[in-house]
Order: sequence, then C-alpha cells, then structure tokens
Amino acid sequence: MANRLLEVSDLDVAYGDVGALWGVSIHVDPGTIVAIVGANGAGKTTLMKAISGLVRPKRGEIRLGGASLVGRAPEEIARMGIAHVPEGRGLFRQMTVLENLELGAFQPKARPRLQQSLEKAYALFPRLRERAHQKAGSLSGGEQQMLAIARATMSDPALLILDEPSLGLSPLVVQQMFALIQTLHGQGVTILLVEQNIHQALKVADHGFVLKTGELAMQGSGAELLADPEIQKAYMGVLE
Amino acid sequence: MLNIPPPEILLQLSINGALGGAMYGVAAVGLSLIFGTMRLIFLAQGAMIILAAYFVRALFYGLGIDPFLSLLIVVPVGLGVGWLIYQGLFRRAAAEEDRNISLLIAVGLMFLVQNLMTVVWGGNTAAVVTTYTASGIELLGVRTSFTRSMGFLIALAGTGLVVLFLRGTLVGKAVRAASEDMEAATLMGISPHRVNAIAFAIGISLAGAAGVAVATTFPFNPFAGFIFSLKALVALALGGIGNVAGALAGGIILGLIEAYVQYFISGGWTNAIAYGVFLAVLMFKPEGLFSRPYKKA
Repeated sequence: MANRLLEVSDLDVAYGDVGALWGVSIHVDPGTIVAIVGANGAGKTTLMKAISGLVRPKRGEIRLGGASLVGRAPEEIARMGIAHVPEGRGLFRQMTVLENLELGAFQPKARPRLQQSLEKAYALFPRLRERAHQKAGSLSGGEQQMLAIARATMSDPALLILDEPSLGLSPLVVQQMFALIQTLHGQGVTILLVEQNIHQALKVADHGFVLKTGELAMQGSGAELLADPEIQKAYMGVLE
Repeated sequence: MLNIPPPEILLQLSINGALGGAMYGVAAVGLSLIFGTMRLIFLAQGAMIILAAYFVRALFYGLGIDPFLSLLIVVPVGLGVGWLIYQGLFRRAAAEEDRNISLLIAVGLMFLVQNLMTVVWGGNTAAVVTTYTASGIELLGVRTSFTRSMGFLIALAGTGLVVLFLRGTLVGKAVRAASEDMEAATLMGISPHRVNAIAFAIGISLAGAAGVAVATTFPFNPFAGFIFSLKALVALALGGIGNVAGALAGGIILGLIEAYVQYFISGGWTNAIAYGVFLAVLMFKPEGLFSRPYKKA
C-alpha cells in the first residue's frame, strides 16, 4: 500500500528469553489509531522497542513513510518522526515539568516551534502549566502519564507510540487518558497504542492487531475484534 | 580533650582548608559530569590536571604567558582535548554494556599520560614561580595566599559556568536528562555520543582550569595527579554523585576536614581520615550529604 505510514513486515526479534517476536507484520495508516493488544509477555513492548530502535530485530523490515528504520539508532528514529512514550513513561524525574517538555522538542526541526508546541501542550493539559516548575517526579501517576504524552507531542511526531499508558492508573484517570487519546486523534495525530486494557483500546482503535506469544494471532477493525467471540473469551472474559 | 584554639586560628584553618579543598572540588565537578552520562569514574582526571599544569608551566617559561592569563588558552584547548579523548578512546567502549572496559581505558590513559610527562619533563618536582607566588592577601581579616585565593575563584567560576550551562541551555538540559536516563534521552532524539563528548569536553576543560590553580599553588610532578583523582572521588561522594554544585561543596568540605585533622591531630592522619570519611559516606549516606535519601524503587 502506498499510503502506509508505518509498515512492519515479517519481523523476528530475539530478545533474551522473553517477549521475542516471530514473523510479525503490522501496519499503521496516517491519521488512525492502531491498537496492539495481547496478554502480558506477548511481545507488545518488544515490538514497540524494535520500531523505535531500542532493540535490534534479527530479521524483517520496518518502514516509516517508505524509509527503512532497521539498524538506525533510537535518536535517529526519533528525529525521523517517531515519538515513543515507553512503558514506565521515561520521565526525567529530577527535572521540572517545563524542562521535560522542552526536551520533547530537543530535535533540531522541533526547536524553532518550541513556544507554540508548549502552548498547545498546555492547552491540552492545563495541569502541566500549573506545575511547570515542579519536579516531574513529584507529580501524581496520572499527571506523570499526561506529562509523558505531552512531552512526546512536543516534536509534532508523525507517529506517537504509547506503551501501556493506562498502567497503574485509577479507573477514572484511565477514562481521562482514553478521552485524551481521542482528542489527539481528532487533532490528526497518528497513534500506535499498546494496551493490556483490551476493551478500552479496541473501542478507540480504527484497527487492531492481537499478539499471542510473539506471533500475530488476529487483526481487524477495532469493532470487529471487539465483537469476535474468541477475543471475548480469551481476553475479556475476566475483565467484563 | 581538645584544646579549643582562638577563633582567628579557626578562621585561618577554615579559609586555608576551603581554598585547598576547592581544587579537589573542581576536579570532582569534572568527574561528576563524566560519571553522569557515561557511568564511568574517570580516574585519569588528576593526570589531566597535572598535564595542564605542565602545559601552563611551558607557556610561562617558554612564551612568557602569565599563568592566570593562560586560562584563556588552557580552557578552550581542554574542551578540544576532551572531545578528542571521547571520540578517540571512549566512543566505541561507551556503546558496550560493560563499563569496566571504559574504566580500564581510563586507567590506561592515566598511566600513559603520567609516563609521557615523565619522558618529556622528567620525574622531578616542577613549579611555576612568578612575582606574585609568595604574595598574600587579606581575606576576612586573615592573611592568606594570593594564588590559592585565585584558585578558589577559578573553581567557583568554573563550577558556576557549568551549572549555568546545565540549567540554562537546552543542550545542558539534554546532558542532565542523559545523566538521569540515557534510554529515555535517546527517545527525545538526544545522541548519547554527543552528550558523552560534551561531558568529556567540559570535564577536561575543568581539568585545564584546575591545572592553572595547581601550577600556581603547589610544586608538582608527573605522578601527583593520582592523589588528586582520589581526593576528587572523595569530594564526589561527599557532594552526591551526579550533583555538580555538590561536588564543589564536597571538595571544600574535604579541604576543611583535612585542615582540621592536620591541626588537631596530625598531618600523618589527614589521608587516612579523608578516605575513612569517604567509606563512611558511601556506607551510610551514599546519595551524598546534600540529597534526600534515594527512594526505593
């Protein structure tokens, strides 16, 4: 497909003993939300790390807008337009909220727009303006996740990767998080979302991929996967 | 029971201790920066300081350049040398998970520099003697050495500039971010090699500044640097690893401890007690004297 933003084909990752991937192919079209779902240890985080260059695949191809990402360093991939909010958020806890946001716009092409990006982020996350001069580590879990996402939007990325954004948050904050993801989507941001919260993730996703022990088990539109009896049985029975 | 000496003696001790300790401090600031991004204890820092001292001496006796004026040469040259040391010696090793390789390179560099200095300048004690070497100035009502006071100012200014860079510029913030979490920093588009090279460049230029302070204050020889590295390590632990301003303060505290020990106990005890303090801090307050305890993750 000519119009694919991200195309991962036939990816193998050997990554210690856990979370390896075998022959995984996924794709993300511009302007969509794509969810990667699956149980713990299915390889979701490994897939995200391979895309952003934190782990090196053994075989296969990853293309962003046609350009190959395989073998490139993470900082180079970041500059090519992928903003990855890792599991655990990767905030600079000793630094202030404002400093974290500024670093989100570190790459040369984002720097000239720093002030506009900052205003945009503050408009979306008013709490961050109030806490601009507080250390990131002093924020609540929900605020930290908001900061991590806001920081990732500072570079105006072609693709925003969110790895388990709802992890460790209270149900109310999880609702806010998903509302926020939809707001970003409404602004035209392309989002690749990894979630254990399968029901919520598939509800907001245009397309979903189900990973099972390192392999692609199923794919389809969010609504199709939600309605699939096997998915309901395997992943949502315990949640509903 | 200790005899409490008169206050002017205490003041004299404190000033001398602080002035001497600032030199450990400025060496520790360099160690702190390099440790921050590389997780490497750069044991060659002391040797680089002595190398700078010889360079200052050569500029003085060879070209007649005043040692303090030579800061204008030594500091920029230090930036360049630091950059080259990273690119030439540490770049490959920095990509390895195993920090021991970098540590061994630092040890190797230390011995290489020491022995090259011996070949070039001989193993005897050298000194830089100027018209003002023996002059004193009045400080808080106490008479003290002019060159030591200048050394203190150099340490203060050097550390101040580094702190301004780290807090006030985006690149400086990137260095701090990389020191806290290198992987997260790379996801911001920050290149590890770039921040490592910056840390080295600044670290070695600080060694250059410290070299000016050492050359004007003490006689030195090619092997004098190792003690400096060790003292800087103590200062680093006192100040809290990764805390740049704390490293300078740690150096000053170490200088004070040494001055007091020398006066109240004896000169022979200063090193033993300095390293004892080092171990005690690492055992009981590993985050340094100025930080709150680490949160258990």
